[in-house]
Amino acid sequence: MTFLAVIIRGLFRRPVRTGLTMMGIAIGIAAVVALVGMSRGFESSWANGMKSRGTDVVVSNVGGALTPKPFSQSLVDRVKPLPHVAETCALLVDLTSVEKADMMIVSSRQWGGFDWQNLKIVSGRLPKDAKEKAVVLGTTAAETLQKKVGDTLQLETEELAVVGIVDGGAFVENGSVILSLELYQEITGNEGKINVIDVRATPGTTKDELSELCQKINAAVPEVHAVLGSENMRDSQALRVIRAMSWGTSSLAILVGVLGVMNTMLMTVFERTQEISVLLAIGWKRLRIVRMILYESALLGFLGGLGGVVLGVIGVKLLVTAPVIRGLLEPDLSAALLARAVAISVLVGIFSGLYPAWRSSRLMPSQALHG
Amino acid sequence: METANAECVFEAVGLKKEYDDGQVKALRGVDFRIHAGEFVAIVGQSGSGKSTLLQMLGALDHPSEGQLLYRGKVLDEQNDLSAYRAREIGFIFQAFHLLPTFTALENVQMPMFETSRTAPERKARAGELLRSVGLEARLHHFPGKLSGGERQRVAIARSLANGASVLLADEPTGNLDTENARHVMELIVRLHREQRMTLILVTHDPGIARRAERVLEVCDGRIVADKLNGPPTSP
Repeated sequence: MTFLAVIIRGLFRRPVRTGLTMMGIAIGIAAVVALVGMSRGFESSWANGMKSRGTDVVVSNVGGALTPKPFSQSLVDRVKPLPHVAETCALLVDLTSVEKADMMIVSSRQWGGFDWQNLKIVSGRLPKDAKEKAVVLGTTAAETLQKKVGDTLQLETEELAVVGIVDGGAFVENGSVILSLELYQEITGNEGKINVIDVRATPGTTKDELSELCQKINAAVPEVHAVLGSENMRDSQALRVIRAMSWGTSSLAILVGVLGVMNTMLMTVFERTQEISVLLAIGWKRLRIVRMILYESALLGFLGGLGGVVLGVIGVKLLVTAPVIRGLLEPDLSAALLARAVAISVLVGIFSGLYPAWRSSRLMPSQALHG
Repeated sequence: METANAECVFEAVGLKKEYDDGQVKALRGVDFRIHAGEFVAIVGQSGSGKSTLLQMLGALDHPSEGQLLYRGKVLDEQNDLSAYRAREIGFIFQAFHLLPTFTALENVQMPMFETSRTAPERKARAGELLRSVGLEARLHHFPGKLSGGERQRVAIARSLANGASVLLADEPTGNLDTENARHVMELIVRLHREQRMTLILVTHDPGIARRAERVLEVCDGRIVADKLNGPPTSP
């Protein structure tokens, strides 16, 4: 028999209590996986969208909202002449309800701009020109809206023809309704307004030069804010709030887990007072007793963490199919996040076991003779 | 004493133990010597201090005053009392105190965690000890499935796990019926004889005390009699 076997046996001597405690931790860890995975997924989905479009620098005014505030299209002319700027593409992007979908990305792009180049036609075609009353749908958007080429799509007050289904190479792109900027400005009454300028840098521009370009844009066009495409959403206050809420909720869930484990481990020490005293009486060192309790609580945390990861992954998979967010984000369920969640759970276990372990180390071997 | 030339294992000098800030005086100044290989019975009424004395000998508790020497060294001044408990002494309790979620074989392995034995070595040694106490058919039984006598035999095997030279037994037959008590005492006496262990046994049973070579009678925290019975007898 190994020491690990002693620990496992100790932990499962009360299987129902251990199982319930594990479930408590699992729910906390599932919250971490789901909430953090979703918020990070939101961030990375947009960053991947930028990468897919070949956007090096994003100029917008994100502020406190998820979608940037509109500004004058004329600002593009102040960005274009700056060094390292190869191309620009003006956009008016919206998060809005479209027919059955509660929330969908509507991405209108300057006709002929480079943002159209990454779209691979799955079926149909792209709009013929900027004025054609037509849209193309990303593959996920088409699924969500249950549309195919030849159908029509109601956007605001306008009925538009679905002329193509496209693969944009990124989750956000595939979840979008895409049309020409001019058409969308007309439909929404936002003539001359845009809310994003995508900037493609000249080939060979280094990351340092891109950062420099951002500073130059910010100096030349102080009405907006330029960031690297890969960091597009990082500056969003709304995302910061989401992130803070995710961690806040997760922390509360973890705190509940800590109390659960601490309670279970204290109960286990109280129940096993005589057993622990006997172990001391037959020669176990106090350190071994402390290790036994700490390992038990760490194992409890580890198993709860594994359960939490499974619960969290299932939860997120179910959540992203919900109509309200379908196609908006691809959750970040990377091995690193899942491993971090399990590590947090093990730390929760160890932390929760500290006090019970200390209590167990204070027991006297003479108690073995009583009773 | 017949062991006068044998090494002195324990020497108590003015040993006192008080509880509750001196309100309870369990030992009031005890002096004795116990030599290697002796079979000593400690007798006395309930509350006389005999179990407290056994706790001191097993380093389960510290004296309030006086000194207890083990092989010439003050026990309380030893760096590692857990090593003393693990390697030098074996403890047999009245209530057996086996761990209920572990089999007989696993219970006997418990003291061996504080040695350098590997897991297979621990298992083999535990099996060997259980066979030596006649429990070869009960190796994988949990304590709840064993009779009182069998449990005490598992506890005896456990006390021998690390090759202790001193066996401390606290009313080892106190929870057993007559037949099982007789078998357990036979086993303890046989172990003492065959392994030349020092055996110190607390009992209030005069029949058991008569089988010891020497009887220390404790009354109100003091040793009031120290009698020699001669060599240990069979039942």
